[in-house]
Amino acid sequence: MPGRMVVKGVNEATSVGAASDRRPVDLGVAVAAVVVAAAVLRPVLERLLDRPAVAHWATVFVAIAVQAMPFLVLGVTISAAVAALVPAGFLPRVLPRRPALAVPVAAAAGAALPGCECGSVPIAGRLVARGALPGAALAFLLSAPAINPVVLTATAVAFPGRPEVVVARLLASLLAATVVGLVWVRTGRDDLLARARRRRDDDGPPLAVLVATAQRDLLQAGGLLIVGAATAATLQTVVPRSVLDAVAGAGPLAFVAMAGLAVVLAICSEADAFVAASLTQFSLSAKLAFMVVGPMVDVKLVALQAGTFGRGFALRFAPLTLAVAMASSAVIGWWLL
Amino acid sequence: MAALTPAGGLISLLVGTVLLRLVLTGTYGRYVRPGMGPWLAVAGVAVLVVGLVTLLQALRHANPEDAHDHHRHGGGDRVGWLLLAPIAALLLVAPPTLGSYGVDRGARVDIRAGTGVLDPLVAGAEPIPMTLLEFGQRAFDRDGASFGAAAVRLTGFVAGAEAGGFRLARYQIACCAADAAPVVVRVVGGRRVPARDRWVTVTGVFREGGDELPELAATNVVEIPAPDDPYE
Repeated sequence: MPGRMVVKGVNEATSVGAASDRRPVDLGVAVAAVVVAAAVLRPVLERLLDRPAVAHWATVFVAIAVQAMPFLVLGVTISAAVAALVPAGFLPRVLPRRPALAVPVAAAAGAALPGCECGSVPIAGRLVARGALPGAALAFLLSAPAINPVVLTATAVAFPGRPEVVVARLLASLLAATVVGLVWVRTGRDDLLARARRRRDDDGPPLAVLVATAQRDLLQAGGLLIVGAATAATLQTVVPRSVLDAVAGAGPLAFVAMAGLAVVLAICSEADAFVAASLTQFSLSAKLAFMVVGPMVDVKLVALQAGTFGRGFALRFAPLTLAVAMASSAVIGWWLL
Repeated sequence: MAALTPAGGLISLLVGTVLLRLVLTGTYGRYVRPGMGPWLAVAGVAVLVVGLVTLLQALRHANPEDAHDHHRHGGGDRVGWLLLAPIAALLLVAPPTLGSYGVDRGARVDIRAGTGVLDPLVAGAEPIPMTLLEFGQRAFDRDGASFGAAAVRLTGFVAGAEAGGFRLARYQIACCAADAAPVVVRVVGGRRVPARDRWVTVTGVFREGGDELPELAATNVVEIPAPDDPYE
């Protein structure tokens, strides 16, 4: 039965202990549960939304999820296409092997992926799984959401008459991505990427692999995105503006505050320039830190990275990236702005 | 639940359906920019197809033999269930457009950015419709000299009463409601103050002397239903 082989390959990731003969029952139970929950939940939700704070939270939460979906789908599709179409062993053969070359090239290659940060995580995960140099894949992961033409154009629009802001953002992001990639190569903690590397791709006809990979990545990255969206919406709803005004005037503290704000607000990299521009209390350097840190480290990204590469990885990678991104924006900001 | 089970397929199917529904009903305008519509539709179709194929495959090949070699997948896959949260919210209640709650919480739009010297308005028979942002920019430019005597019409929601009138606000968004920043105008001289968060169209003329907020002396305030494109 030739068809069986395909099925086994594509189906290999079904759940632990979900005996297959129970599956149709599981599905029926799930559908029934959803219908009942909907009937019970609706009045409760409606009453909750009468409270302005809850309505604000819900709108921001849904908005982040909806806005991210097209980008997530793009990233997942590219990642699945790599899995389905690029033969194993191809990437390590064609990519530069010397880290000193591979990492900056990968960082610069980020300019070719239009989109925001949600899409680049599954792609980087796939690159690592396919044997790309991890430091280079990570440099790509960091630079792609920050330096692509869409984001740089948005930045130019948000800061009219200040082209140096665009240049500063490009340079600071490239610098930070390259430095983090090289540091990663140096410290050699590739063992932390075991989760992404272990990921075995499915066998079978390319189209079946494409769909299966897309489906798996979509549910995983999508679910983690929801965690991040809920966190960001909560922080946006509860942190009052007076806190911002209080720290804005205080030099270095304002710089750190803007970096921290980028982490907790988790705004899409295509929009963060507008938000940075609207935070008029802050200096240009502090705004630069906001725009460099945001696409590289924020609550939804850390959730995505933890899910894709493992928690141990995210625990080390996020602080490293945050520190490097802040240092990089401080240097470039001092030089250009 | 793992991604390739019927339940996983069903979730993707739901995500795709909800995205398409958002586009078809126009509700997506509450959350993202109008220009996102086609991209949401494309994403919705893609997710729907992937979900449908997965569901059909999983149901067709539900087979006892498949259950054996699946022990390496831990709980990491369960996170996909979380996608049901926004789906439930959207299918059951569809959260409203941002209201006055956020006006004082986030940063305001900087009306001073990007303004040069603006062309003077030509007063006609009809009031000139304009965004709150343009009103603010004109008010800032040479203390409102470009208004002349022209009457203007602004549309926004009521963000609270003030002495002699109320604050009219509307959000600017760059991508989605998460990056919304409000523009606020003080409306004075309206006969009565509409309820908070009610959408209104205000006709009037610029009035000089507003301290931090640009001021509009209203001749007419009309309550309207919330528009389809609630953000500027």
